[in-house]
Amino acid sequence: MTTPQYIHAIQIDTEICIGCSHCMRVCSTQAIRIVDGHASISPERCVDCGECYRVCPMEAIYVKDDRLAKGSKDYIYKIALVPAVFFGQFPVKYSVTQISDAIRELGFNEVFEVEQAVDFIKSEYKRIAKDKDIVRPVISSFCPSVVRLIQVMFPSLTENILQLKPPHDIAAIYLREINSTTNIRPEEIGIYYFTPCAAKIVAAKAPEGEDESPIDVVVSMRELYNKVYKLLIENKSDKDDLKRRSSMTSDSIKWSLSGTEREYFRGRSLAIDGVENVIQFLEILESGRISDIDFLELRVCDQGCAGGIVCPGNRFLAVERIGERQKRLQERLKENKKVLNPLMEYAKELQKVSKVKEITPRKGLLLDENVEIALQKMAKIKTLNSYLPGFDCGACGAPTCKNLAEDIVKGNASMSYCIFVQRIMEKNYKLSPEQAFLTIEKIWGKNRLNKYKDNYGEKEVE
Amino acid sequence: MKMQFDIAGGDFSAAGGASSEVKKTLKQLNIPPATIRRIAVALYEAEVNVVAHAYSGVMSVEISPTNIWVQIADKGPGIPNIDKAMEEGFSTASDHVRQMGFGAGMGLPNIKKNTDSMELKSVPGEGTTLEITVNFN
Repeated sequence: MTTPQYIHAIQIDTEICIGCSHCMRVCSTQAIRIVDGHASISPERCVDCGECYRVCPMEAIYVKDDRLAKGSKDYIYKIALVPAVFFGQFPVKYSVTQISDAIRELGFNEVFEVEQAVDFIKSEYKRIAKDKDIVRPVISSFCPSVVRLIQVMFPSLTENILQLKPPHDIAAIYLREINSTTNIRPEEIGIYYFTPCAAKIVAAKAPEGEDESPIDVVVSMRELYNKVYKLLIENKSDKDDLKRRSSMTSDSIKWSLSGTEREYFRGRSLAIDGVENVIQFLEILESGRISDIDFLELRVCDQGCAGGIVCPGNRFLAVERIGERQKRLQERLKENKKVLNPLMEYAKELQKVSKVKEITPRKGLLLDENVEIALQKMAKIKTLNSYLPGFDCGACGAPTCKNLAEDIVKGNASMSYCIFVQRIMEKNYKLSPEQAFLTIEKIWGKNRLNKYKDNYGEKEVE
Repeated sequence: MKMQFDIAGGDFSAAGGASSEVKKTLKQLNIPPATIRRIAVALYEAEVNVVAHAYSGVMSVEISPTNIWVQIADKGPGIPNIDKAMEEGFSTASDHVRQMGFGAGMGLPNIKKNTDSMELKSVPGEGTTLEITVNFN
C-alpha cells in the first residue's frame, strides 16, 4: 500500500501543546488524536480547514507559511497577489490605493488583486453551464478545503468537482504571461500570494490536479496586515482612490464571500458556508437524494474567505466593508463608462491552461486496500465498539468510542485506553492501578496527573 | 458484514437514514466510488418507496468482498401489477406524497438501472419484498 505524501499547512507545536483535546473535539474529519500528551494530526484525513486552530487555547496550532522575507534576494521583480478580503480588513478611512501603496513600500513592484481573474472564471462558467454531459451538481473548485474534504470524506463526489483552476492560479499565470516580454528572466520574477487561510497555502504549494504552482511564495495575510497597518498609520497620503480608473468588475470583489459565485452559473444553485453545513449537504448529496441542482458554491469558512483563519479582522466587518467598496465601484462605473479588464485580453491563452486534471479520492477512510481484510477489520471494530460505553468522552485520546475501536484494530491503541474499561479490568484484577496509570500517561503525557494532590491537598501524589 | 435497519412508513424526514449508514460503511472499503454512488441511489429510492407507500419495513444488508446484497421487505398495500410499476413515470403515489417532491414514478426503474440484479415480489394487501445485488467490480 503506497501512502501518498500529503502536504499540510496546519501544524502543531508540541513544545506549546498541552494535549487539552479542544482541537480533537472539533475536527470534522476526526483527524486528531492525543498521543504522549500532545495533539497529533493524521495527514491522510486533515483537510486544512483550520477549525482546530480556531479553538486552541494555547495557540499551539500554527499555520506554516513562507515568510515575507523569503526570496527577497532572488527576485528582481516582486508581485504581491492580494485577495479582496485583505482590503476589507482595514477601516474604510484607508482606501484601496493607500493600502496598495503601503504594500509597494514593503518592496513590491506591483500589487495585483486576485479577484481581477474572476471575470475569466465567470466567462468559463458561462461556457461550462451549457455542457450537458458534465456531472451535476457541478461543485466549485474555489475553496481548497472543500476540495480536500470531498477527497477524504466523500470519495464518490470527486467527479463533481469542477476541473478549473482557482482565481489566484489564473491571476498568477496571467502575471507570468504579461511579464514574459520584459527583460527580466522568469526566475527573477517572484509572485507572492497572501492568503486568508491555511488551505490556500496548501493549494498554492501543492495544487490538486496540477503539476506545479505558478506561485513562488505564500504568506499568511496576518504578517502583511501588521506591516501595512503600521505604514498606514505613519503615512498621511491623501485619498485619491476615486480618481483612478478601475479595471475591477464591482461584484468580483465579493467572489470569495458566500453567495456571489453561484449567481454566475446558470441553473439552480446553492451557496453553502461553514464546514458543518457543507458536510451535512454533501452527505445528503452523496446519498443520492438530490437530483436537480446544477451548481454548488461551497465554502468551509462561515462568511467565506472573510472568515478565513488568518484573517486578522472580524469577518462581519470585512463583509460590510467589501460591500461598501462594491457600492463605490458601482458609482464610479456610472461616471467612467465600461470596465476594461486587461486580463481578459488573454482569455484565450488562459483558457488553454485553466483546466486541472481529474480530482481523485484520498484514502483517509479506508480500513484496508483489500476488501476482504477491510471487512474483517470492520467486523472487529463493530464488536469492540459494542463493549465501549458510547459516551464519546475523549479520555482515551480519540474523539469518539468508534474512533477508539478503529484505532485498536489499526494497532494504534488498546482496549485499556478506555477509562471505563479500565475500571472493569481493575475490578477483575486484569489490570493493576499502576498499569492503568501508565496507560493514562501514555495518552495524556508523563506527569500529567501530578498536579492532583491527594488527602485534600495535604500530600502530593509521587 | 451484516446490517439491519427499520424503516418507518410515512416518516419522510427520516427517509434516507438507512441508505446513508450503508454508504458510510462502504466508504471504508476499497470499492470504486462510482459503485458506491449507484448503491446509494438504489438504496435511497428503495427506502423512499417504503416510506411513501408502506406502513413499515426492514432493510437487511449483507456485504461480501465481492458484492452487496440488500433486501427491503415491507408491510403495506403491495403492488398489484409489477410490470406496470416498473414503467418509468408510473406512480400510485398520493397527492400528499407528490407534494413533498416524491412519487415521480422513477423509483423502481432507477433501482433497476443502478443495480446488477433486482427481484421484486409482492402480495397485494400484505407487502412487498425487493432484493437487489450490486457487484463491486
